[in-house]
Amino acid sequence: MPSDLEAYRREVHDFIAEQGVRMRREGVRVPDNPAEEGEIRRWLRSLYEAGYLGGGWPVEWGGRPGHLPIHDLILMEELILGDAYRPLDQVMLAAHAIIEFGTDAQKLELLPSIRRGEHIWCQLFSEPDAGSDLASLRTRAEPDGDGFIVTGQKIWSTDAQWADMGMLLARTDPTVDRHAGITAFVIPMQLAHIDIRPIREITGHAEFCEVFLDGLRLGPEHVLGEVNGGWKVVTSGLASERTFVGANAIQLERLFQDLVALATAAHLPDGTAAIDHEDVQTQLADARSRVQEVKLIVRDIVDRILIDDEHPSDGPVAKLAYTEMNVALCELALQMISSSASIDPAGTEVAERWHHNFLWGRAMTISGGASEIMRGLIGRQLLGLPRA
Amino acid sequence: MRDALRGTLGTAEAEVPSQVETDWRTGWPALVELGVTAFCVPEAMGGFGLQVRAAVATAMEFGGALHGSPYAGLVASAHALALSAGAEAHDLLTGILAGELVCAFGQLDPRQNAARTVDGIAGADALVLVDAGSHSLLLFSHDSQWKMDDSPYGFDVTRTCADVTLDASKGHRITDSGHALELRGLLLAADAVGAVSRTLNRTVAYAGQRHSFGRPIGGFQAVQHRLVDHAVRVRGMTLVVAEAARLLASDSPEARRFVAMAEVSVSSSATRILHDLLQLTGAIGFTWEYGLHFFERRVHQDARLAANPRAAVRALAEIEGWTDAQ
Repeated sequence: MPSDLEAYRREVHDFIAEQGVRMRREGVRVPDNPAEEGEIRRWLRSLYEAGYLGGGWPVEWGGRPGHLPIHDLILMEELILGDAYRPLDQVMLAAHAIIEFGTDAQKLELLPSIRRGEHIWCQLFSEPDAGSDLASLRTRAEPDGDGFIVTGQKIWSTDAQWADMGMLLARTDPTVDRHAGITAFVIPMQLAHIDIRPIREITGHAEFCEVFLDGLRLGPEHVLGEVNGGWKVVTSGLASERTFVGANAIQLERLFQDLVALATAAHLPDGTAAIDHEDVQTQLADARSRVQEVKLIVRDIVDRILIDDEHPSDGPVAKLAYTEMNVALCELALQMISSSASIDPAGTEVAERWHHNFLWGRAMTISGGASEIMRGLIGRQLLGLPRA
Repeated sequence: MRDALRGTLGTAEAEVPSQVETDWRTGWPALVELGVTAFCVPEAMGGFGLQVRAAVATAMEFGGALHGSPYAGLVASAHALALSAGAEAHDLLTGILAGELVCAFGQLDPRQNAARTVDGIAGADALVLVDAGSHSLLLFSHDSQWKMDDSPYGFDVTRTCADVTLDASKGHRITDSGHALELRGLLLAADAVGAVSRTLNRTVAYAGQRHSFGRPIGGFQAVQHRLVDHAVRVRGMTLVVAEAARLLASDSPEARRFVAMAEVSVSSSATRILHDLLQLTGAIGFTWEYGLHFFERRVHQDARLAANPRAAVRALAEIEGWTDAQ
């Protein structure tokens, strides 16, 4: 890595060490109380102000001249290594959708609010009957004067309970092809006729929400992109922080270290540590090698992104490989815990983290396109096999 | 270079052979002209330095081509012979680089009178054995110096293998083996990845063409999704092997760790993946003539030659420091 990038990494590292807000648990992003919410918003704002986050935006909207995609990767790696609160995917996606599809008025109103940490965004995409098959969504936005009246139910909306803004997908023309009749809207979550109910998940936390839209009135200023052009808005490969995927390599490295820490802290009934046993060492060796495979796949994909030589299947390959590896490591950790008679006090926190990660890991193989959807995409795009 | 290799090996087209070519020596000089035996020999000795990635790429092509040469051991031997000052070693190396002589590679039994599972010993002009106890090599330059028994090794029909009995005191000792052992382990893994990779490509092509219930079987999720999982694994294994090669070539202290990981990855999964590709090919894949079994037999032997996965798992556990009792 060139020395100016090393200097950038040190700068980011020091910044995170000084100001970073701690990430409580993987996948736990909703603040517990107003004080924590204030800290998180200030932290996100300071990342934007320093130019570490949103550096790749157009310069007139706050981007940093000379920003490179590799800078995004360095930021994400350092956030993970520093256990710091990480930027929210749906906020970054909203920003890029607004940059690409928004009117000047929308950009002027919405982009600075994101950079100031004032606007947390959520996505109102999935519905009870439209998850991985998003194009089958049924929430209706019916013309009413120069605006729309929206009726329907959304679900799995991460962070909706504290979001200021939402990006909504609704059907504006039920008579045409199902992809063609969908419109994207940007809506303030405080509007009347929006009812938000957090859903408690298997981890015990409530990150997702159901959102009921019952006669919500929207104006033309809420439409993002063209009416009936919403599918393009959500599928146009919006994120410019594409190199963030590379940080999964660091994440796996840390998970593996946690696995070794667990094997060292877990004791069998005879008092020996799990790691002293050959069968456990074999499991670790297999896991270490598999982790290395996935790390190299992710790095290979980042290298391709950096020279603009990405294959359409690379994103799905990285997601499938990383999320399934994560599940496999969690399963191994749970076997280690259940096979042990006691865990050193020093390892209690690690064991608790594995219990949480085991449950949370299942969200990653389901959300953002389930593994089964990823396999279908890869089968068609990489292997050239017919649609199932 | 890959294209030149494929042209010479006849593997440029997707079809895999329905029988194996056991006479590989006739075509050997043409391959040696491409430099395949010289990749890990210093330039001063007539080689290309330490071009481990080129050797790995070659081993993958040989694996995919079911080539009969004991390539991994030969590259390791040439590498070690170049480190010896003796005339015997020098003559053998010259012969190997000219494509005239071939040398087998194995591990000396602790009782000093035998070597088990020696790849390509039948017809070999010389034999190099690792003496693990002293971390040196023994060179035997004439086939009258050993007796061989190939009866335990009929499973892999693409290459020959035998147990050898000999008198270790008759060997010429080479005290520095360089990276010979790591090279051999890595190239055996590369051979297996090449074999799996070619079989995967063939199976994907087959699944796209073969119709059942009115559609290509590759359009059924039960088939397609497994092919995808295998493709992701093969990409990962290929990258781990390549990374180990890069580190070995640059003499990195991390090289041993990565070679061990490459060996663990490949040897613990290659046979299983191939067996599933055979399942996905259906009954035609079960026939001798279709040829998938050649790759299964070969890949199993690749692991056996290095006593893997166990040997690599133990090596990795030791390198990682897990074996130091707490």
